[in-house]
Amino acid sequence: MNAVDLHRKLERNSGLLIFGILLVSAIGGLVQVLPSVLQDDLVTPGPSTAPYGPVELTGRDLYIREGCSTCHSQQVRPLLAEVKRYGPYSKAGESAYDRPFLWGSKRTGPDLHRIGGKYTDLWQRMHLLDPRSLVPDSIMPGYPWLAERAADADGSIQSKMRALRRLGHPYTDADIEAAPAALAGLREVDALVAYLQALRAPDREASP
Amino acid sequence: MAELPSTFWSGWVAVVTLASLIGVFWLIYSVYFAKGGKAADEPSPVWDGNLQEGEHPAPLWWFWLIFASLVISVIYLMLYPGLGAFGGALNWSQGGEVDRRLNRYQTEFGPTRRLVAQAQLATLQEDARLMASAQRIYDRNCAVCHGYDAAGQADLFPSLTDAAWQWGGEAAQIEQSIRHGRLAVMVGWEAALGEQAIDQLTDYTLTLRDGTAQDHPGETAYLQYCAACHGPDGSGNPLLGAPDLTDDASLYGQSPAAIRHSIGQGRNGEMPAFGERLDDTQVRLLVAWLTRPDAQQ
Repeated sequence: MNAVDLHRKLERNSGLLIFGILLVSAIGGLVQVLPSVLQDDLVTPGPSTAPYGPVELTGRDLYIREGCSTCHSQQVRPLLAEVKRYGPYSKAGESAYDRPFLWGSKRTGPDLHRIGGKYTDLWQRMHLLDPRSLVPDSIMPGYPWLAERAADADGSIQSKMRALRRLGHPYTDADIEAAPAALAGLREVDALVAYLQALRAPDREASP
Repeated sequence: MAELPSTFWSGWVAVVTLASLIGVFWLIYSVYFAKGGKAADEPSPVWDGNLQEGEHPAPLWWFWLIFASLVISVIYLMLYPGLGAFGGALNWSQGGEVDRRLNRYQTEFGPTRRLVAQAQLATLQEDARLMASAQRIYDRNCAVCHGYDAAGQADLFPSLTDAAWQWGGEAAQIEQSIRHGRLAVMVGWEAALGEQAIDQLTDYTLTLRDGTAQDHPGETAYLQYCAACHGPDGSGNPLLGAPDLTDDASLYGQSPAAIRHSIGQGRNGEMPAFGERLDDTQVRLLVAWLTRPDAQQ
């Protein structure tokens, strides 16, 4: 059999043609995507990668809600200039508890994967609410409403944690039980600052 | 979720990749060179009088183009990682490439950078280009808090251009602040001492600037509660980060209201540690820049 005969057969049999198209289109995914999803060392957390606590988790959702990843990446690429500027380059295992991951694809602002601990909580808070009060030339928008709303306004933290536990995040019953208390009295900006401060290089100490 | 070991996936990637390459080769080879491609019993329709399927073969250079791509792919997969876990003959990796470039960077600039890290501050301060580098380091790491003019910001982040250094203005003390950060704790006294005592303390603290107080009603409380850190004469203690109260620099604001707030409610200043973000050379340059003779405005 040669390719011309095969082509003739496919051309006259639409069921076979559909199957052939699907097979060929799937090859890229089968090679590139499937092993990444299922391979052990890409979904195994790094040695110091821990699941987010309730406050950081809430902050992470706010990071998504406010679209921070539109302008900030969270991946230090393995390039000399980036390692010099931001710190150790990002590894796959560091994102094991990021669902979805927030690597981003564009840097209008700087990369944030190693931002934790660079500035104080107070600075981060003031900067989020009004960036130009601290950095006069900043083009980052202010997010003043973060100071107005309670961090767990919709009371969804426990169901979020249960859903993540089903996906393999090692939260205990006690963790989930204690979550609303950890968020009590916090504003949204507090949770977002806690999340930003938790973005650290894996060999550095985790935030207290 | 991941029951299959990564060796399976390595083999999977390698087999599918090689099968695809062989498949593409078979496809182009049989289209161009295999016999019997035309089924005689099925005549092609004729268009425009004389145009039939298979009238002209596809240009041969197409074949060579695809063939060359295949050869290059195979060479690439032999040299570089791509075929499952096979690392390639060149043993290239992204991490290894960064390390190689870091090594080259160290070889090229390391000796000079070590010279800078060990140089006398005065020598560094005389070199305008080094000071320009130092200012860039400052702009990228320090300016968002201390201000691009280093004059402090928001009555929260101290000025680095005046004579007041809460944790000490000697080069070694500044270096310590940069490398390890600082945590300042001023407790609030209003709950313990009551409003009236805080008012008196505020008033007494303000008189420390000119030293005019005689038998001030706040003095006893000051000596009892404040002097341990700020000193009986209010001159402060850089070891504790307790600021000098006799000068007119006041981090959290000059007004009596701001000072009253500091005494009554306390303050918690924090300088983050930059020891892991900046190397010895960068820290040395920053110290030189901050202590340069014309830094004070």
